[in-house]
Amino acid sequence: MASLDQKSPNVLLQSLCCRITGKSEAEVAHQFQYAVRVIGSNYAPTIERDEFLVSEKIKKELLKQRREGDAALFSELHRKLQTQGVLKHRWSVLYLLLSLSEDPRKPSSRVGNYGALFAQALPRDAHSTPFYCTRPQSLALSYADRNAGLSGSVGTSGISSLGVYTLNGPTPTPQALLASQSSAGATQPLGSRLAWALPVSSSPSSALAPPTSRPPLGPAVLSSRLVRPRRDGDAADEVSEAALVRDILYVFQGIDGKFIKMNAQENGYKMDSKVVLCRSLRDTSSRLAELGWLHNKVRKYTDARSLDRAFGLVGQVSRRCLVVFFTPVHLLMLTCVFPQSFCASLHQELKEYYRLLSVLHSQLQVEDEQGVTICTESSLTLRRLLVWMYDPKVRLKTLAALVDFCQGRKGGELASAVHAYGKTGDPQMRALIQHILSLVSHPILSFLYRWIYDGELEDTYHEFFVASDPNVKTDRLWHDKYSLRKSMIPSFITMDQARKVLLIGKSINFLHQVCHDRTPPGKITPASKPADTPKDAAELLSDLEGAFQEKIDSAYFDTSKYLLDVLNRNYLLLEHLQAMRRYLLLGQGDFIRHLMDLLKPELARPATTLYQHNLTGILETAVRATNAQFDNAEILKRLDVRLLEVSPGDTGWDVFSLDYHVDGPIATVFTRECMGHYLRVFNFLWRAKRMEYTLTDIWKGQMCNAKLLKTMPELSGVLHQCHILASEMVHFIHQMQYYITFEVLECSWDELWNKVQQAQDLDHIIAAHDVFLDTIISRCLLDNNSRSLLNQLRAIFDQIIEFQSAQDALYRSALEELTLRLQFEERKRQREEEGQWGVTAEQEAEERRRIQEFQDTIPKMRSQLRILTHFYQSIVQQFLVLLMTSSDESLRFLSFRLDFNEHYRFVCRSKETR
Amino acid sequence: MASAANANLNAVRETMDVLLEISRLLNTGLDMESLSICVRLCEQGINPEALSAVIKELRRASESFKASENCTN
Repeated sequence: MASLDQKSPNVLLQSLCCRITGKSEAEVAHQFQYAVRVIGSNYAPTIERDEFLVSEKIKKELLKQRREGDAALFSELHRKLQTQGVLKHRWSVLYLLLSLSEDPRKPSSRVGNYGALFAQALPRDAHSTPFYCTRPQSLALSYADRNAGLSGSVGTSGISSLGVYTLNGPTPTPQALLASQSSAGATQPLGSRLAWALPVSSSPSSALAPPTSRPPLGPAVLSSRLVRPRRDGDAADEVSEAALVRDILYVFQGIDGKFIKMNAQENGYKMDSKVVLCRSLRDTSSRLAELGWLHNKVRKYTDARSLDRAFGLVGQVSRRCLVVFFTPVHLLMLTCVFPQSFCASLHQELKEYYRLLSVLHSQLQVEDEQGVTICTESSLTLRRLLVWMYDPKVRLKTLAALVDFCQGRKGGELASAVHAYGKTGDPQMRALIQHILSLVSHPILSFLYRWIYDGELEDTYHEFFVASDPNVKTDRLWHDKYSLRKSMIPSFITMDQARKVLLIGKSINFLHQVCHDRTPPGKITPASKPADTPKDAAELLSDLEGAFQEKIDSAYFDTSKYLLDVLNRNYLLLEHLQAMRRYLLLGQGDFIRHLMDLLKPELARPATTLYQHNLTGILETAVRATNAQFDNAEILKRLDVRLLEVSPGDTGWDVFSLDYHVDGPIATVFTRECMGHYLRVFNFLWRAKRMEYTLTDIWKGQMCNAKLLKTMPELSGVLHQCHILASEMVHFIHQMQYYITFEVLECSWDELWNKVQQAQDLDHIIAAHDVFLDTIISRCLLDNNSRSLLNQLRAIFDQIIEFQSAQDALYRSALEELTLRLQFEERKRQREEEGQWGVTAEQEAEERRRIQEFQDTIPKMRSQLRILTHFYQSIVQQFLVLLMTSSDESLRFLSFRLDFNEHYRFVCRSKETR
Repeated sequence: MASAANANLNAVRETMDVLLEISRLLNTGLDMESLSICVRLCEQGINPEALSAVIKELRRASESFKASENCTN
């Protein structure tokens, strides 16, 4: 009340005291104190602030005093008060007025227990069920029901209690009341009177529970002709329960009722605030209206998904899900798979819900037509609805929560979300979720089966967890084309299973496209009929560990085995692997040796003069002459010579390489990177072999010429040096070869072979092969870490070659000298035989000069050799140091072997001391 | 502003009239001024139970006053 002055309560109280007692302020001090105390201690009201209740009470009071006209007047005034809306605490005021009201008929005992009398009267009426003191059996019903259901005013129940009293006397009051409030007035006074005496039967639209316990009053006949006061048109008055029930039933389906409408801001169903309704009714109907909200939520989701084409593949929605009782049929367009199946399951649930609603509606209709008394036990009240709708409410709540959780997800994610919801202890909810899950995962499983057994993937909306990249061509099919879409893996399928599934489909596709094997999948796996119905899916889901895993495993084993068989039989995978070993990794010793023998003169030439076809011809010769000829023709025809890029100053040795052609399915295992690795390793091995070859030559030369040059004692020192150096080199290379052949190649090869023999699928083979190559490369010092080692090794090799050339030069000159000397001797002898002087003085002098010249070159040779040796030894030492500090164990062992008697350390020390 | 205030005032007066009428119907014995004070108190949130108890007590007190006065007179 904006215009009232805001005086403080104390002041107001003071003025009130003065006013009522008619005394001045000073005199009422005592009363004022009392007033303050009372008000201060009773701060909160003890009864409920229900304006409706209070107004009813007032009316009742008035009627008790037989002042029906006044009661009507009061109703009018009350309505006016409500519409004016000036007062905020109408309840307080009304209550106050009520409590201060006096019955004019009663003697005004104004002295003494005036207040006490009233104080007694009040508490009785202060309770919320004041009317039932006389009718205990009616307490079973809710007060609200009775109030709402009773046509006329609350006074009826009061009248019913009155009924005992007033049965005899004429009771014009009910009639008058009726007349004022009912549409078709009660024509029969007797009937109405009796009807009022039997409030149960008199409210036809809500047959209340307490059976008409007054048989003598014969309710049935009378009440059937009784008016059914329809409250519907009477907005200002209280609303009957029947109308409320009808409203609620509409709200259950999401349609706005007359009184209960959807409030968009608060996102809920709210009762129209103008409707006069007591609190409990309001609460009950709010609780029931929640169902409508839940229903709307679920409905919104399913409708939205049905219109949204972006969500999934063509799926079939079973027709039976779609028949809906009250709302028009939404035909779900055949758009999505997962959200579609989810919607289908939701629709099924909704259909059950609608069925229940239809039952309720039909009941209501029956009651409407036939009046109340037929089915008093099963008539519809709000309370009954509460109880009956409890289970559906729980289900709808679950569905709504599920809808919330699953917003915007599709495919495997959706299934995971639903599955996550199933982890609950409530068995009913679990059953519901299982059912939904089986429907939702049915498409997933059908995808799965198609993929496993046919290798086909039709997934326009990217819902399955296997993704296919259409840009990838056939040669990279195995590696790149198919991948796992991790987000779409449902949570009930483990990662291991998902990988296996991917592998199976990949194998089938590989067989079809790369191996050109058109065996129908039925032959590969004795497949059981894939899950066609959701029921199968449900069964499968319930036994994920067992049946599902078994299916996947059997499909996996069979398909992989078949694939490996095809590869080995038709494409000779294992043979090729062995061929790689023999040729590219120098496994076939006799062939390699022979090849080297044949190639030696060719490769000594500069690289630019080499022609490929010449070399190929030599290769052929080598093949035919050795055991290699007995190899499979398929393999031999892939063997080839490759000339590497030529840099200036290269000899043939630097550019020569063998090659092995791979194509088709074999290329999946021997990819281009693999072949590159193989060629690098070949290069390294070939070089090492060449060193060995060279040293063999050196040794041969030494052995041959040693005897010859015994006659030249001045050479012995040099020769001795040569021999020592040669043996050092031989030892070194020997150890290196041992290391390479046994520790690197043989061991890794053995491992690879074992793994390949035991491999269950192509992925295993590829992985093992990659591991093999990686090991070899790192052990052969070809990877990035060992670059320094490799450089040292190369330097050593270069030294060996230099030594060879130096030694060659030495021998040449020595042998030349030898030949000359021998010639000289020969001539001398000849001449002596002829009787001439053996040698003339000039010849001898010449000879001596020549020998002297020769002997002069010897120190040069010696120093040259010494430099060579020194250089060589220092390089080897550095190499050893690097070896000892390397991280690879076998390399460290190599260093021990190379320096087993610590010769190099000795040399080093001796050099330092020198 | 004035019209709004006027309208407000009218509404208030009407409400008070209605309340007075109700009070008369219920025979509470409150006159306009007391009624307005009570309404103001209620609007400020006073517990009506307590208030009614107070008023009854006051009435009793005034009765006893009158009685004693009569006696003395």
